[in-house]
Amino acid sequence: MTDDKDVLRDVWFGRIPTCFTLYQDEITEREAEPYYLLLPRVSYLTLVTDKVKKHFQKVMRQEDISEIWFEYEGTPLKWHYPIGLLFDLLASSSALPWNITVHFKSFPEKDLLHCPSKDVIEAHFMSCVKEADALKHKSQVINEMQKKDHKQLWMGLQNDRFDQFWAINRKLMEYPAEENGFRYIPFRIYQTTTERPFIQKLFRPVSTDGQLHTLGDLLKEVCPSAVAPEEMWFTWVMPKSDVLMFYLSYC
Amino acid sequence: MEEDEFFGEKTFQHYCAEFIKHSQKIGDGWEWRASKDCSDGYMCKTHFQVKNGTAMSHQGTSAHVQTFLPVEEAVDPPLDDFEVTETTTAAEVIKYEYHVLYSCSYQVPVLYFRASFLDGRPLALKDIWEGVHECYKMRLLQGPWDTITQQEHPILGQPFFVLHPCKTSEFLIPVLKNSRKINRNVNYITSWLSMVGPAVGLNLPLSYATAASQEEGNVSGQGKKRSLHSTFPVAEILGLFCIWLCPPCWTQHFLSLLSPLTGH
Repeated sequence: MTDDKDVLRDVWFGRIPTCFTLYQDEITEREAEPYYLLLPRVSYLTLVTDKVKKHFQKVMRQEDISEIWFEYEGTPLKWHYPIGLLFDLLASSSALPWNITVHFKSFPEKDLLHCPSKDVIEAHFMSCVKEADALKHKSQVINEMQKKDHKQLWMGLQNDRFDQFWAINRKLMEYPAEENGFRYIPFRIYQTTTERPFIQKLFRPVSTDGQLHTLGDLLKEVCPSAVAPEEMWFTWVMPKSDVLMFYLSYC
Repeated sequence: MEEDEFFGEKTFQHYCAEFIKHSQKIGDGWEWRASKDCSDGYMCKTHFQVKNGTAMSHQGTSAHVQTFLPVEEAVDPPLDDFEVTETTTAAEVIKYEYHVLYSCSYQVPVLYFRASFLDGRPLALKDIWEGVHECYKMRLLQGPWDTITQQEHPILGQPFFVLHPCKTSEFLIPVLKNSRKINRNVNYITSWLSMVGPAVGLNLPLSYATAASQEEGNVSGQGKKRSLHSTFPVAEILGLFCIWLCPPCWTQHFLSLLSPLTGH
């Protein structure tokens, strides 16, 4: 695990240069300038855009403001997806900066979850971590942790504190010496070409005859349509900081 | 992928199929929807309800009242059994959709639901709370974010409300354990849905409980006939009653108390 520390840091500190522009039909008292921000790949839009919100609300009247939401080229952005996932899925072939449009009206109820507070983001994040641990350790590790450990995971993410986060997350990434890996690999495969939001299935890291499975084995098994590597697909592992670890361990 | 828990995906699909068979017999409106790639699917039901409606009872359903009104756009089942008491404006009629999916992470069924007015406006979580029976409110209010949350439907990709699955096995495992000990058929979906459904306005007619015990081709592989006495689903019927009377957290306790009665 210590060998991969550099990789873990690179994943954690990944950033996407983004330009936020107010939607043209929003009512403003004066011109709204675009707002530039480096977004952390491993975080969530509604967690890191307080400054964006404040910037645009300065030129709007209170009565014209309701829940903020973001859109890229007409597609509402799901705040509950990690930022890096959204970018890779929708905008990775476009030139930087990533151009996101900001809305304060007409919340798309059929497409987006509401995000009334930071507590909702925390609950969502923790539920992802718990689900991943259900797959990795039958929830034993996450359930044995105290509430303060759970809180530390969240605070680490919220405050961009790598060491604080990994002090707890490393326990979630361990497995007993006699096992060859986790019980099941927590993964989701996102594709733009499918109606289904993601593919998630049970997949063991080791085959019945003791061979370590590769990423290719996983893809062949759960996503056989993605035959050629040039096809547009993206693999994202829960929790997000496992992605590069996964690639390096199994390819 | 082996299914080493009580409740693998194949078992889930089997119990759903049995459940739907009975639903079709009594016109309860449940159906199976396969995902586009057909690798999996879910069970779903739509019903319409008047918000803050007047009390009306229907034979065979729970003691708690629900008001159904035949509206022009009503989908199956046909509501011929209900009296028309009064007409109401479209804004007061709420469409509820219930979806039962399988969580491979927790290896339990999960209840997804959403509600909207007929003009498409969705109900917010706080509006859903108002529809929750008093009996459940206290327990659910203690930690709404832990129990009912808005989440993305894993097959449709749209926002739904979800009853959190990680607590499901706590109250379901005793039911399964008891039934296996006495070698009796239990439709896991019937038991589970009868426990969690009422908290969010979904009730099951009693006939589901008796149907579960009479089904053939059971999972345990036993095909022998049994006397009426031993098939009487005490646990399920009492389970259904205690749902109507007690919060879900009491149900597990109540069902474990029943084990001497079920004779294991």
